[in-house]
Amino acid sequence: MKVDKERRRAISREAARKRRRAEADVFADLLRLLPLRASVRAQLDKPSVIRLALCYVRLKTLLRDAMFASPFFTGAAELRQNSESETEAVDETDVYLRVLEGFVMVLSSEGDMMFLSDNVGRYLGLTQTELMGHNIFEFTHPCDHEEIRSVLHFSAGEPWSDAKCDFVMRIKSTLTPRGRSTNLKSATWKVLHCQGRAATCADPFLTSCLLLTCRPLPVSHTLLCSRTFSSEHSMDMRFTHCDHRVTSILGYPPHELVGRSIYELCHTLDVVCLRKYHIDLYSKSQSVSGRYRMLARGGGYVWAESHSAAVPGPRAPKSRAGHPQPRLILSVTYVLSVEEAFLQLSLEQKMQHGYVSRG
Amino acid sequence: MSDRASGGTADCLAGANAEEEGLSQAGASLPGAELPKKRKGDVEDTMDAPVEQGLDFLMDEDLSRSEDDQQAKMKCFRQPHRQIEKRRRDKMNNLIDELAAMIPACQPMARKLDKLTVLRKAVQHLKALKAGSGSAFAAAARKPSILPHDDLKHLLLRVADGFLLVVSCDRAKILFISESVSKILSFSRVELTGQSLFDFIHPKDISKVKEQLSASELNNHQRLIDAATGVPVQAEPPVTTSHLSTGARRSFFCRMKHSRVEGKHKDKRTLPTASVKKDSSRYCTLHCTGYMRSWPRSDPDSEADAEKDASGLTCLVTMCRVQAHASHQPPKDVKTKPTEFVTRCAIDERRPSSVISRKKFWARLVTSTSTRTTCSTWQKNTVLRSKEKLETKCYKFKTKFGPYVSLQSQWFSFTNPWTKEAEFIVSSNRVVSRGPSHAKDDEAAGSSRGPQEESKQLHIIPGLTSGVGKMMYAGSLGTQIANELIDSYRANSSPSSGVSSPFGAAQSALESPQASRSLSQQEEETGSLSESKTEAVPSISENAAGEPSQQDLDSMLVPGLSSFSSDEAAMAVIMSLLETDVNMGQAGDLDDLHWPF
Repeated sequence: MKVDKERRRAISREAARKRRRAEADVFADLLRLLPLRASVRAQLDKPSVIRLALCYVRLKTLLRDAMFASPFFTGAAELRQNSESETEAVDETDVYLRVLEGFVMVLSSEGDMMFLSDNVGRYLGLTQTELMGHNIFEFTHPCDHEEIRSVLHFSAGEPWSDAKCDFVMRIKSTLTPRGRSTNLKSATWKVLHCQGRAATCADPFLTSCLLLTCRPLPVSHTLLCSRTFSSEHSMDMRFTHCDHRVTSILGYPPHELVGRSIYELCHTLDVVCLRKYHIDLYSKSQSVSGRYRMLARGGGYVWAESHSAAVPGPRAPKSRAGHPQPRLILSVTYVLSVEEAFLQLSLEQKMQHGYVSRG
Repeated sequence: MSDRASGGTADCLAGANAEEEGLSQAGASLPGAELPKKRKGDVEDTMDAPVEQGLDFLMDEDLSRSEDDQQAKMKCFRQPHRQIEKRRRDKMNNLIDELAAMIPACQPMARKLDKLTVLRKAVQHLKALKAGSGSAFAAAARKPSILPHDDLKHLLLRVADGFLLVVSCDRAKILFISESVSKILSFSRVELTGQSLFDFIHPKDISKVKEQLSASELNNHQRLIDAATGVPVQAEPPVTTSHLSTGARRSFFCRMKHSRVEGKHKDKRTLPTASVKKDSSRYCTLHCTGYMRSWPRSDPDSEADAEKDASGLTCLVTMCRVQAHASHQPPKDVKTKPTEFVTRCAIDERRPSSVISRKKFWARLVTSTSTRTTCSTWQKNTVLRSKEKLETKCYKFKTKFGPYVSLQSQWFSFTNPWTKEAEFIVSSNRVVSRGPSHAKDDEAAGSSRGPQEESKQLHIIPGLTSGVGKMMYAGSLGTQIANELIDSYRANSSPSSGVSSPFGAAQSALESPQASRSLSQQEEETGSLSESKTEAVPSISENAAGEPSQQDLDSMLVPGLSSFSSDEAAMAVIMSLLETDVNMGQAGDLDDLHWPF
């Protein structure tokens, strides 16, 4: 009987080996079909192959879907026949990605990262093939999951509207400050500003997805334009210091702003938007406000957009480990336009006749 | 446990990766090789499918390898390891299932297909897809990417909602613009290429864009602020090669014209920024980010001249995107209805410090005055309440001031999220209905006690008007309240400048609270206006007094006082106000006011 068992075991081993061989062959085929560079291909394991194949199929389905392609793009479809357009497309996408200062992400309604553009490695350290197909919730900060989920639901819930979204999230990044890539386990959090829209698809398994461009929020800003100013705030958004340029833009001398909260200075209707921005700022350490209005000194308001970072204060003692360090907020505000120069909206705006805010 | 397990999973996966690599490299030799011990007993074998066994074997390899490692570190790891493996298997199965779902050939099957079949069908499907997309391989040879490039471009355009723009720096000639511009600006690509960019930019932004285009030198104009320290960082001189001096990044906002043939959806998007009244065309605010790029002339000897615009071509390559307004969401009731306004009152000062109204509608002027008087004292009693709640709280009250208007308000206290203190109270007020113009005063007074606020109003009213005796007039009620408030915010020395502007002499006296008090008293005496017939009057007076332009109100003093019931001084005030209004009213468009009766 033992011999029987042995024989059976041998047979089953052979059978298993054959199956594995077949499976490996199929995997190899699949791998070959994926349009990837050879160097990248060699590094993939079986789950990754399936992941990437899945992404590829999904993307193709999405792109060929009639609903996804708006009428506007029919011109591009015709161009597709032309081989020259291929090179042009390559150049154009290169330029786009470069100019974008970020990468493109397509999220399915469950949060799977269906597509990431090639340059994701530059910003996150993790390459496209490492990330594609995985679920975004594995890579983002747990506190942001709620927000991401709500965005996904929102975009999935209203398939017919051109729903736009704009949010800030933290994602794992394996880039060291020197630019090299480390292990996933020693990843740091990077703050990304994601903007995008929802897209719908007729396929029953892929009803909607979210197309996003993700930009890491820059920590240093170039103040080229005269219509920007930088300011420092305490954590409750009161000004502690302000650039002198604010005078020419808003009319307040810097010392007048010190101690005043940004909520006082903004248009009442934008208070909610600023509040969210503030919350993002101290929970995620970097944020960008949407466009809001700031009341100018002489009346009227300006549209502005602020990019801020919460940084440890100047006296950050290293000995206090775990103790919250005093932080302050540095923000750069871009002024977009000046409106309604003579409209007095608040008691704090001192009307001065003859004051004309420079347009 | 979960951390450890996940760490273990990572280890396992890392091990698996290495293993797979080994396997794939071994390639054909693998099946022939005799594989080391098979620890089937260690692996949970729940399903008998052949797939499972194959997979288990792989797991075994990993298990053995990682087990050795693990055993070096810690023993008794098999139990959680089994969990890890199970998780991996499940993940693999999920992936296979998803793949099966996506592949059309697999979908109609009633029962679940086994793994190999799914994979084979996937291979076929991919082959079909590749064949369908034609030249994908050709491009792939040059630069393989998971998506063919035109698809990527398509996707990018869809995502970014922007267009690519290349302008030359010297004369802002548009050298290249992508097709997506037609979606955003409604101009066709052909129309725009070759034109000067300044033709399409809002006049006020021209100087800004010029500045951006002209600054090709990094050092003079650019300041890098290191956000970590707030200190300007010395910019390094740009590395300039002759062919690709990619130079500085540029990022700015500008408004671009778009043609009037637009779809409805554009209006929603551009509504807050479109300056409709001023120009006949609309503008759309774009965020342009990009970089400067210069090419030397084709003559290779002139490499040294690459920097100069004269000999080389410098241009700005940007992508212009429309900014989403996702975060800008005014409260719905304010946006849609014309008879609404929003006020904001600081909590400690019981007067509104800022009043914003969306549209020009005279009735607001009348009502806002009175409601602010009535409700701000009322608010004093309830401000505690709202402070306690410290949250968005909507409670409505009806105040019917005068015979013709009733108002509904929604209040919420705004708290600073960092300090969790209430900063101010925002109220959005809406005119509900407008009654007849000659209602009785007592009716007005009576109805000013809304159903919910009855107790409070009664509470306030006796306390205030007991001294005066004119209890039946809502106007006098307002007076009393105003008096009280004047006293109370004399301490707050914020001058109500708009109020004083009609009173030219008093303008200089604004700066002192003393003067404001005398001013207000003067107004009080002279500024009483009758209610019923002179509806136009209060609005003018408030209009003139309240703001240089006709739209908004700023302070409580004049509006509060305008509801009083003595007539004769009214005319005097009105005349003076009108005179001063004429003098200073460049910005005011009285004709835009709606006179609804």
